[in-house]
Amino acid sequence: MSDVDNANEKHPDEITLLLYVERQLEREAAHEVSLHTQTCTRCLTLLRALDRESRLLTRSMVEEDEPLPARLTEFHDKAKRSMQWIWGVVFGLAVLGVYALYTGYIEPWEQQLEQAGFGGSNLVSLLVFQGAFWKGWQSMVTLVELVAVMSIAGFGLFAIRRYLRRGAALAVVFASLGLIASFAPRSSASEFRNAQTVEIKKDQTIKGDLFATGEIVHVAGTVDGDVYIAGKQVEVSGHVTGDVICACQSLRISGQVDGNVRSALNNLTITGSVGHSVTCFSETLTLDPGGKIGKSLTSFSESLNVGGSLGRDLLAFFKSGVVEGNIGGDLRTKGGSLRIADSASIDGKASWIGDNPAEVASGAKLASPLEYKKFEHRSGADRGAGYYVWRVIWAAAFILFGLVLISVMPLFSREATDNVENVGASFGLGVLVAFAVPIAAVIACVTVVGLFVGLSSLFLWYASLYFAQIIVGAAVGQWILGRAHETWGLIGRMTVGVILLRAGMALPYLGTWLKIAVIVWGIGAISLAIYRRLQPVMAPSIPAVPTAPLSAPLPPNTTVGGI
Amino acid sequence: MPGITEPKDLIVRVRAGDTQAWGDLYREYAPAMFRFCRRALPTREDAEDATMEIFMKLREKLARFDTDRSFTAWLYKVAANHCWDMLRRRKARHDKDTEDVEELPLEAPEPNQLERLIEERTGEEVRKALSKLGARARMALVMRYYSDMSYDEIADALGVRRPFVGVVLLRARHELRQALTENNALAVGGTR
Repeated sequence: MSDVDNANEKHPDEITLLLYVERQLEREAAHEVSLHTQTCTRCLTLLRALDRESRLLTRSMVEEDEPLPARLTEFHDKAKRSMQWIWGVVFGLAVLGVYALYTGYIEPWEQQLEQAGFGGSNLVSLLVFQGAFWKGWQSMVTLVELVAVMSIAGFGLFAIRRYLRRGAALAVVFASLGLIASFAPRSSASEFRNAQTVEIKKDQTIKGDLFATGEIVHVAGTVDGDVYIAGKQVEVSGHVTGDVICACQSLRISGQVDGNVRSALNNLTITGSVGHSVTCFSETLTLDPGGKIGKSLTSFSESLNVGGSLGRDLLAFFKSGVVEGNIGGDLRTKGGSLRIADSASIDGKASWIGDNPAEVASGAKLASPLEYKKFEHRSGADRGAGYYVWRVIWAAAFILFGLVLISVMPLFSREATDNVENVGASFGLGVLVAFAVPIAAVIACVTVVGLFVGLSSLFLWYASLYFAQIIVGAAVGQWILGRAHETWGLIGRMTVGVILLRAGMALPYLGTWLKIAVIVWGIGAISLAIYRRLQPVMAPSIPAVPTAPLSAPLPPNTTVGGI
Repeated sequence: MPGITEPKDLIVRVRAGDTQAWGDLYREYAPAMFRFCRRALPTREDAEDATMEIFMKLREKLARFDTDRSFTAWLYKVAANHCWDMLRRRKARHDKDTEDVEELPLEAPEPNQLERLIEERTGEEVRKALSKLGARARMALVMRYYSDMSYDEIADALGVRRPFVGVVLLRARHELRQALTENNALAVGGTR
């Protein structure tokens, strides 16, 4: 080979050499290039460099540097397909189940609560808007608004993410946060007190809401707003123009509360006056003869004593109850024993559901005779055909619930289902989570700040009781029908498993234990899946791609530099 | 095509409504298709979205697919068209992509310099440099060196005349060399 880099020699340009390497030149042109590179070292070097560059490009592109994202691994399951007739039946039964749930349980409760003074036309408005018990949320409205806006923004960004560049997405997020911050309300007039002993003195007036935490909280002065208290011993002897929301050991209201009293505590004693309604979850509730409630009293207490005056209805669930005062509306009670004393007067209807008839003194003034209904303790032997029909409907509702969950979270559902087979870990974690979470959530609810977290946790925990049965059902289905590789396969196996589990749970006595075991097991499996998701994931090792040999076959009938 | 054999049997079963076959087909081709999109599109999220959309298109178009043709070639053509449409719709292409390829001045490299530049380059370095290229250059290189598409197919996908595919590829290589040189300079500067 000799160098011929003289001035008269015409070298092929780079594009010609590239087309030659790429086998895109006409036969004649390729032959010319071949002849030239036999005598030109420079062009031969460039030709080889281009060839090496092609190989480098191919090698770097086909290397498996990233595993298939989890989002894509199950994508094919989401492809549209026609619903089979069975899902239509299941859906119909589920709708029936929801209707039955509403008419059988929710609507009567709603009516009772409405009669108890809560008002509202439906359950949602009752809970969210009308339910004065939730007025405590108003103090956290900024936080709730923030969470709501951020959630909506998150969903929005998720929906339009494909149209956003990363920088643009960040800009949108920060702009949204800035916008939210600019709309944030100015500092309110709320007052926060936290000490061993918190006292609002008699001559002291607080304009706005009061948030107080302490071992002893005494409100002797005036609060022109709502009062939120978490403490041990609490007394309100002053004047509160708004509501009193309290979580404590004992609460005594000897002063005047113009709004409502909502409380979760051990002992509630009212010797003063409450302008609106009282809702109480307690061990004992006493409305002293001198005490007065302007509207209704709703009580879930072990021991209830109504000696004072009640403007409207009394709705109460208790172990033992005594009515000695005046009730301006209806009396609706359920529990262990009820005594209506001589001094009592009830202006509306009176009903009692209990193990034994109520003890009604002859001197008691009742607008209508007390309606008594014996409390029915149902046993497994009493089950009629209707019971089993409803079991079928509920099983269908469960399957629908499972269908939605697995469709929405296919990968997570599969992971949780796989964890069911890890019996020891699932049961151990299940016991811990099933019992510890509600306790922790209730403790969190005691503090005003933790209320949101506590209630959210309780809600999620309650939902997981049902999800747990779906997951264990799916695992049972897989044991019977074999492992599913697709989402719809998993749904089918879940259907079979849930039907079997629900059938087992219908068995007298044994069914209850089976249900508990399934729930604990399933909650453990779900918790394990969440735990594993929170662990850092190590990227799988990238298999080395063998480097291709650099001696590529060139176009037929051509040579490179005479080689 | 990279390590894939023709799945004629699977295609027949998918057409007959066999969901298991659809799952198998997806599992077989999704990784390669994701890699294609990952190389051709600017972000990982784009690549994930595009992969899903390509398979949704595939499901719709599979009934019309001529089984005498190469399935993988057809699939890459669908993918290339989809990715290029995506980039065009978003106007995400670099300004230089709008230049007329016929007027591009191309200065031939010094052969020994080019040898040195590509010597011992890792795949990771090339991929990093690839991500800095304009959309057209990146698409052209991916179509040619990942999917092994012909010049005719590349011309068809990019909407250029067939004789200029070589120019597009060469220009893309020049851009890539420039990016590799810059990366190398940065790396050297960073170690000082």
